[in-house]
Amino acid sequence: MSALLSIRNLTVQFRVDSGWVTAIDDVSLDVNAGDCVGVVGESGSGKSVTALSILQLHDRVTTRMPSGSILYQGHDLLRIKGSAMRRIRGSEIAMIFQDPMSSLNPVLTIADQISETLRQHQGLTGAAARKRVVELLGLVRIPDAARRADDYPHRLSGGMRQRVMIAMAIACKPRLLIADEPTTALDVTIQAQILELLRDLRRELSMSVMLISHDLGVIAEFAQRVVVMYAGRVVEDAPVAQLFRRPVHPYTMGLIAAVPRLDSDALRLTTISGRIPGPQEIIPGCRFSPRCALVQEGCLDEPPSMHPVSDGQSARCPPRILALSERHG
Amino acid sequence: MTDVGIGALTTAAAIAAPRGHSTLRRLLRHRAFMIGFSIILSLALLAVLAPLIAPVDPSAMRVRLRFRPPQAAFWFGTDQFGRDIFTRVLYGARISLFVGFSVCVISGLCSAILGVIAAQFRRLDSAIMRLMDALMSFPAILLALGIAAALGPRVSSVIIALTVAYIPAGVRIVRAAALTVREMDFVQAAQVSGASSLRIVLRHILPNCLSPLLVHLTFIFAYAMLAEAALSFLGVGIQPPIASWGNIIAEGRDYATQAWWVMLFPGIAISLAALSLNLLGDALGDMLDPRLKGND
Repeated sequence: MSALLSIRNLTVQFRVDSGWVTAIDDVSLDVNAGDCVGVVGESGSGKSVTALSILQLHDRVTTRMPSGSILYQGHDLLRIKGSAMRRIRGSEIAMIFQDPMSSLNPVLTIADQISETLRQHQGLTGAAARKRVVELLGLVRIPDAARRADDYPHRLSGGMRQRVMIAMAIACKPRLLIADEPTTALDVTIQAQILELLRDLRRELSMSVMLISHDLGVIAEFAQRVVVMYAGRVVEDAPVAQLFRRPVHPYTMGLIAAVPRLDSDALRLTTISGRIPGPQEIIPGCRFSPRCALVQEGCLDEPPSMHPVSDGQSARCPPRILALSERHG
Repeated sequence: MTDVGIGALTTAAAIAAPRGHSTLRRLLRHRAFMIGFSIILSLALLAVLAPLIAPVDPSAMRVRLRFRPPQAAFWFGTDQFGRDIFTRVLYGARISLFVGFSVCVISGLCSAILGVIAAQFRRLDSAIMRLMDALMSFPAILLALGIAAALGPRVSSVIIALTVAYIPAGVRIVRAAALTVREMDFVQAAQVSGASSLRIVLRHILPNCLSPLLVHLTFIFAYAMLAEAALSFLGVGIQPPIASWGNIIAEGRDYATQAWWVMLFPGIAISLAALSLNLLGDALGDMLDPRLKGND
């Protein structure tokens, strides 16, 4: 199946006082039509930078993309014009953000904000737009939608606001929804409701979803494929079941081991020692090597590239792949 | 002349919230707005109807009747030339309100536009702000004095001079607010939904910067009326015998100890106008910022 969105070898650099730093390096990932791809990683691993690159939302003056391509339905988003990109944003590719408290304009009513997208892409105004707004609010299960439509954001709870954000995002039936930590700022019960809502909407609207999260639990529940990022690079890319059954990259193993388990009596939580390197830190070879329990001599020589492990799974750790294949072969 | 000012004010309200009907209804229910609006409307009506209401000619001098304290024949008393203060305050309202409103509205518009441009287009930022710094480095009244002197003693030159003098502070206020607002998530959310930059500026950034500007402008209104008085006093503003609240006060200053009423009544008029504008500004601020709105 051909991918709806296909990021190939994308590198994004930001300008700082001393030159350019590489925020993400050689990132490739595919989102197939109707699929949900989870992107996991710690803060600073480049998840959000990747998402913003897809929508071309980086400041042009302080950002450059020296290599790579972002193919959306065969068109390279890095090469299309601003006005064409604006038509894609919101109608083809939509995005929801982490903090619903600040993602809505405080001076506009819910109806105003949602109908703005409708006006922009479908030319809907007045009563037609209003009807669609109420419909959308119903779709994201906001009770008493007709009355809520005229409320200002400050009257809604965090969960409700996130629903409004989702209503805005799906207003024009986008093919791809990028959800950047959509549940991180919400409490656990609301998280579950929002995820369920996203799951239902994905099916009803047959959208693809790119779910960015640092929560493996959320990813395990929601995604079909998982892309693990570390320090601006993709380190592992696998179907979700496979990833949890047999993680290849030591970083993925560490992440999975760090999830607290109910059936364990351990008194201390497992952690990966050390911290994620900043984009300006120069680390020879594999960027995970300073924290890696399985580090070998060769790891520091040159940056490893992605290697296929098995069907649909690939990782950026040649020694581990070699070890695994010897064990099985 | 004053109805120009009122017109500009209602336009400002219309810009503030494009959805006419419900906003209008909300404004009508807003107590502070209604009080402020009634005061300013009465002052404006008095100004417009001055020739009908005023008992005498504002410039008619009757030296025998000089410095009469307030009494039945002269409600507000008379000045050093025996002119009726009540009449002069009515006629003065025409000039003062017009100057106040014009300066307020024109400098408000210019500040909003320049401030948002400076915040949004970083390349123009330093050019605009250095110009504003240069203007700001002169005391406002001195700058206005220079401009008014260069343009000649006319009402229009007073308005231009004061507008230029008060723009820098407004630009700074709008720019600071816009710099904060443009980094907010909802601006990025609007970008994500495909809104154009112009639309983002007009609908998302500007409305969120207006509350501090509106509050500032209500002060500008009062300052402008007082500064007009100062300019008139210094000889580059509205020339005697034309009355404005400011120059009635200025002329009365020399006789403050013997005839307090000369300064008192135009002073009250300025305070009332400034108070009503403050109430209106607060009300508009509330309308623009729904979080501050009472339970309605």
